[in-house]
Amino acid sequence: MADVIASARAEGRTLLNEVESKQLLAEAGIPVALAHLARTADEAVQVSDGLGYPVVMKIVSPDIAHKSDVGGVAVGLADADAVRAAHADMLARVAEAAPSARIEGVAVQAMAPQGTEVIVGATTDPQFGPVMMFGLGGVFVEVLKDVAFRIVPLEARDAHQMVHEIKGLPILQGVRGQAPADIAALEALILSVSEFVAAHPEVAELDLNPVFAYAEGVLAVDARIVLTDVAEMAAAGEAR
Amino acid sequence: MNVDRARLDRALNPRTVVVVGDKGPNYQWLSNLSEFEGQVYSVQLDEKEIPGIVEKGIENFQSLTEIPGEVDLVVCAVPRQVTPYIVADAVKKGVGGVAMFTSGFVETGEELGRQLQDKIVGMAREGGLPLVGPNCMGVYNRRLGVKFGQGQDKAAEGERGDLSIISQSGTHGISLTAGAQVLGIHVTRTISIGNAAVLNEADYLEYLRDDPDTPAIVMYLEGVRDGRRFARLLREVTRQKPVVIWRGGRTGAGAKAAASHTASLASDDAVWDALLRQAGAISADSQEEALDVAQALVRLPRTDKQNLALIAMTGGQSVAITDQFAKAGFEVPELSQKSYDRLSEFFVTIGGSYRNPFDAASTIGRETDNLAKILDILADDPVIEGVAVEMQARDFEKGTERLDGMIDVLRAYRERTGQPIVAILPEGGFGAATPGILADARVHVGKAGFAVYPSFARAAIAFGRARRFWAWRTEVGA
Repeated sequence: MADVIASARAEGRTLLNEVESKQLLAEAGIPVALAHLARTADEAVQVSDGLGYPVVMKIVSPDIAHKSDVGGVAVGLADADAVRAAHADMLARVAEAAPSARIEGVAVQAMAPQGTEVIVGATTDPQFGPVMMFGLGGVFVEVLKDVAFRIVPLEARDAHQMVHEIKGLPILQGVRGQAPADIAALEALILSVSEFVAAHPEVAELDLNPVFAYAEGVLAVDARIVLTDVAEMAAAGEAR
Repeated sequence: MNVDRARLDRALNPRTVVVVGDKGPNYQWLSNLSEFEGQVYSVQLDEKEIPGIVEKGIENFQSLTEIPGEVDLVVCAVPRQVTPYIVADAVKKGVGGVAMFTSGFVETGEELGRQLQDKIVGMAREGGLPLVGPNCMGVYNRRLGVKFGQGQDKAAEGERGDLSIISQSGTHGISLTAGAQVLGIHVTRTISIGNAAVLNEADYLEYLRDDPDTPAIVMYLEGVRDGRRFARLLREVTRQKPVVIWRGGRTGAGAKAAASHTASLASDDAVWDALLRQAGAISADSQEEALDVAQALVRLPRTDKQNLALIAMTGGQSVAITDQFAKAGFEVPELSQKSYDRLSEFFVTIGGSYRNPFDAASTIGRETDNLAKILDILADDPVIEGVAVEMQARDFEKGTERLDGMIDVLRAYRERTGQPIVAILPEGGFGAATPGILADARVHVGKAGFAVYPSFARAAIAFGRARRFWAWRTEVGA
């Protein structure tokens, strides 16, 4: 944990990349689809061979917050050739869409089976400190803002209520013959992320988006962590 | 600040109060203390003002430090530039606390105001002085007759309090107090916290948590000074007593530009709502809502039961009352056959109905005895766990006997069953009393100790919130 944060700090970054974010979360026992940094196409193939196909590839850049907006996500890559082709395409697309972005490489991960998409996040409220959020992913969070919040620390009943107070709950409970999602695992995930942010005040914002909820278990397939600004933290410390 | 509890206790329950800087012709602060049980002194240097003070029989001094004996509370109404001298004297004298009415500090947005506030806050903190405000109305203590507004009640000997109020706004502090009082609710204390510069909302909440004469708390807040402590404390206090929070200044601000979805969605409103749900605090959007639910909390027994008998005067009203209570989470169950058999013996079913909800004007419109009979049957029916009844103000302008008769019947039901019973005197309801008469009648019912509302919707919402609060308490095992 300390290493990832220290190196980000040393580089003057507050945004952890996907590989770093997932590493931290995995160390805390949070179920994430681990991503591996590949700096070249050869490395990407090597990582993919190790993971097994199909894989997902995403651009890694400290300057790009929304990867899909710049063509920085490729899914369902079935073999080494597909990985090479996607790598070349992606770098070209990103270079065009975000010419000034610094590119560290790509993150490669095993392609997880599709589940019901949800978002689990945390942020720091100026008055109340760390706050957790839960909602259904995609259009539900983007357009309908169908989300629930709780202030950290959370009790088990808080996580339970968060999942149960969103309007989209029936989707998790299974509609149109779909198997219900593992709500107990979602609640456990919310609680472990709450513990993670409570234990790490240096984490200012965190998005697990999306998390795939399965009939059994959950998996965060994308993750982003924003660290507190060190200067701001020092100022807040003095004020206190 | 680290509050010296014993010292704050003196400030909020004073035996000696000193008003600094009161002015004629009204001498509002000294006049507010006319019923105060303890000793009142004045500090005023202005020669023009002193004769008026002495005329009131109040001894005037040149300085706080000249006053003999202990001073528990200083009410400070001097111009802002004088406040540092008063705070210095208060610290030197070792007074219990200062309630600072003086304004013109950070709320002005001026540099001078901010500097002055910083100065008095620094002095108070260093001197361990509990300072209420500045820019506030100060403290009301019903038992002792310490008031910050005319018309605030003084308790009769041995009367217990029903609730206390913390208000960031002086006006809302006054009107919440008055609104509760008019219905006969005993407001133990009201603290107008103003800029909350030394003592903040969490300090007062903590004090009220431990105040045995404060069974419930109503707060008006626009923001908090120490959010983390407030959140922690609120979760704890609600497990001991209900807390109603009316939050003002809900601007809907939010949608901050942020790197994460979560941060961009976490508006101030969303986070407050989350806190209140999580803590089990009861949210109110207006003064009416705050007082409505306060009534339900202090007038009704602790209950999480849902099965109500609803008694309305007409068919249309029986539908309306049912819609509102159902929406608020209550059930309106069928009565037992035995109850129906007994009701059928006297109930006027032409133009009426005793199927729950009741359409009862033709049966009880002029006959209080029949209301008593109905309530007796309901009291015997195990399915019924509470009652909401539409009342009329008919003939109230001629005398209170009729309404008193109904109140006696309600009281008998309450005493026999221990169940909640809610009275509604709707605007424009059956009986066509004027709004003024209806309002007077409601006050009469409220002063008799009942939760009373001007509409089915307000009654149902308030009762529903109180019920959910008690259900939550049961759920969390408190």
